[in-house]
Amino acid sequence: MVPPLSAMRAINPDGDGDGIAFCATCAFAPVCLPQGFDKGTLADLHCLIEHVGPYAAGSKLFEVDDAFDAVFAVRGGAVKTFLVDDQGREQVLGFYLPGELVGLNGVYPARYPCSAMTLDTTTVCRFSFPAMATLATRMPGIQQQLFRLMSKDITQASLLAGDFSADERLAAFLVGMADRYATRGFSATRFRLVMSRADIANYLRLATETVSRVLRRFQDDGLIVVERREVELREPAKLRHLARSILR
Amino acid sequence: MQIAPIFDPELLTRYDVSGPRYTSYPTAPHFEAGFGEDRYRHHALASNDDPIPRPLSIYVHIPFCASPCFYCGCNRVVTRDRSKATEYLQRVAGEIRMQSELFDRDRQVIQLHLGGGTPNYLDADQLHELMEMLRGGFNLARGDEREFSIELDPRQADPALLDELAAIGFNRASFGVQDFDPYVQAAINRIQPIEQTLAVISSARNAGFKSVSIDLIYGLPRQTIEGFAATIDAVIGIRPDRIAVYSYAHLPEVFRAQRQIESCELPTAATKLQLLGTAVNMLAAAGYSYIGMDHFALPGDELVRAQETHTLQRNFQGYSTHAECDLLGFGVSAIGRVGDCFVQNARDLLSYYAAIDAGKLPLVKGYVVTPEDQLRAAVIQALMCHGSVEFRDIEQRHPGLDFPCHFADELRRMASLTRDGLVEVDHKSIRITGRGRLLMRVVAMVFDEYLEHPREQVTRFSRVI
Repeated sequence: MVPPLSAMRAINPDGDGDGIAFCATCAFAPVCLPQGFDKGTLADLHCLIEHVGPYAAGSKLFEVDDAFDAVFAVRGGAVKTFLVDDQGREQVLGFYLPGELVGLNGVYPARYPCSAMTLDTTTVCRFSFPAMATLATRMPGIQQQLFRLMSKDITQASLLAGDFSADERLAAFLVGMADRYATRGFSATRFRLVMSRADIANYLRLATETVSRVLRRFQDDGLIVVERREVELREPAKLRHLARSILR
Repeated sequence: MQIAPIFDPELLTRYDVSGPRYTSYPTAPHFEAGFGEDRYRHHALASNDDPIPRPLSIYVHIPFCASPCFYCGCNRVVTRDRSKATEYLQRVAGEIRMQSELFDRDRQVIQLHLGGGTPNYLDADQLHELMEMLRGGFNLARGDEREFSIELDPRQADPALLDELAAIGFNRASFGVQDFDPYVQAAINRIQPIEQTLAVISSARNAGFKSVSIDLIYGLPRQTIEGFAATIDAVIGIRPDRIAVYSYAHLPEVFRAQRQIESCELPTAATKLQLLGTAVNMLAAAGYSYIGMDHFALPGDELVRAQETHTLQRNFQGYSTHAECDLLGFGVSAIGRVGDCFVQNARDLLSYYAAIDAGKLPLVKGYVVTPEDQLRAAVIQALMCHGSVEFRDIEQRHPGLDFPCHFADELRRMASLTRDGLVEVDHKSIRITGRGRLLMRVVAMVFDEYLEHPREQVTRFSRVI
């Protein structure tokens, strides 16, 4: 369905939103706007609590076991979620890019099951979850979108559980990042890796040096070009083929 | 293919101004005093975070010399007291320990250079010990791709030393010769019989060194065209892979050692120019390629191949074939560069020792490059390494840049260099001509934002010729 013109104007085409316009990448914009809910309306319904940030890299959005009352939509920058075990070892659970929602996994038992930290200078929108849930009962579109996003989170987390090689994991990671950027209207073949290689390694359950070794080999084989944090996928189809058992 | 340099004395005289050597941009005099250790640590730790972190390059400065060469402008300490070296190595060990904690262990050291002073002021055991320290803190490459070089004074080297150096990993050596003429050698306090140099170089080759380099200097006291031609003839006979021909800069008010040189024995400006011309023409005739600045190499050498494939680099260690490394400098006065951050160590032993004894990195100066610096560094690097700048290449690496617009002033200033035949400029590139090649840094200086008043910097940089 094509949204009405008035709703189209409620997305700032330049990217970052404001008090009234959604960010171009917002996860909620495509379901809210066609129903006639712009950001002002959401605020009136107490769903949109506040624009927060910019946070410096390394700031915490929430900590594990904090009471769950909100989800965060990344507007700019990036966020990682992670756990720290009793021996101080960190386990990275996921990365969130502009337009993606952080914190949905706190719905039950109403506490965040992980911590969330910014990886770069980051701005977010904080949505009250109780208010969002109430709104969802009246707006099936929002409910469906929330279910879709939760389900995607669960699928993504289970992807890495299999017995996959380092090549498969890294290919899947690169293709996954490219697809996520492409969904939000960014380049599907060139992007900046905002997370450190230690975080990538941790997330993929690989040794840090393995990440660099495999990426260097991908580069030598002409699949990718890496210059500092910038990555270009030269052969996305080959990478997708390499990652097929994970991506399915 | 690079254009061969054309020796044009009239043009060289007209452009004989002082200028930086662009082993970095901005150059070391622009680093800021009081640069904090914490800032360096931050950059060093962050350098491990890239998906493929840059490999490492290490420079170790050994400041000691057994006797003073009168031409020298290096940071050095002349002493015959060998215990000085032991004290020094203890501090270098401390510095290596502190720095090694900042870099992930999987980052290979693919380039290592020992400079001085005189690195072989250290004896074989001490050099061995130094390599063990480095191996303890860093992952030194073992394969053929490694470029581990040492500057050697042939007067203090024998076959056993060369065997030992090869055994501990060195595969490149550069030998200081300056001039084979005994009369010149006497004037610079560096008596070095040609037989001795020949013997040491053949030891290096027997020991398996894959590259041998010889350093010469023109403009020294008592040098004549005939004498210098004989030296170059002898050097060509040795057929080193690389030859460096440096210009002697007589600045006795800055470099104390040079006060021993009789000004009246120095060649005239015209003779000095002819000395350079003799070297350029003889080396070209003998098949050596001109790399740039003071450097010549045989056609099969990696530097020549890198220049042909446009992968040549320029850094604090001069010209290099290695892609961008993070450079760590150890020892008094050493310079490092990690990511966008330059740092320089204390220049005197006392401050250097005091910092390390207090458990601190001995940094005294530093600088974090701005995006504008990076852009200008790319232009200067292209000119210094490949003798040309394609505007599109630079624009591709700096999104949003319109080269002719951003550098409108610089392109206007190219007009006089174009008129004098140093460069050819069109709407998409700047190319240094054969006449301009020996003056490449004059062309590079146009893009140096820090050179607002070049006339005031007469003593800070060496002269172009």
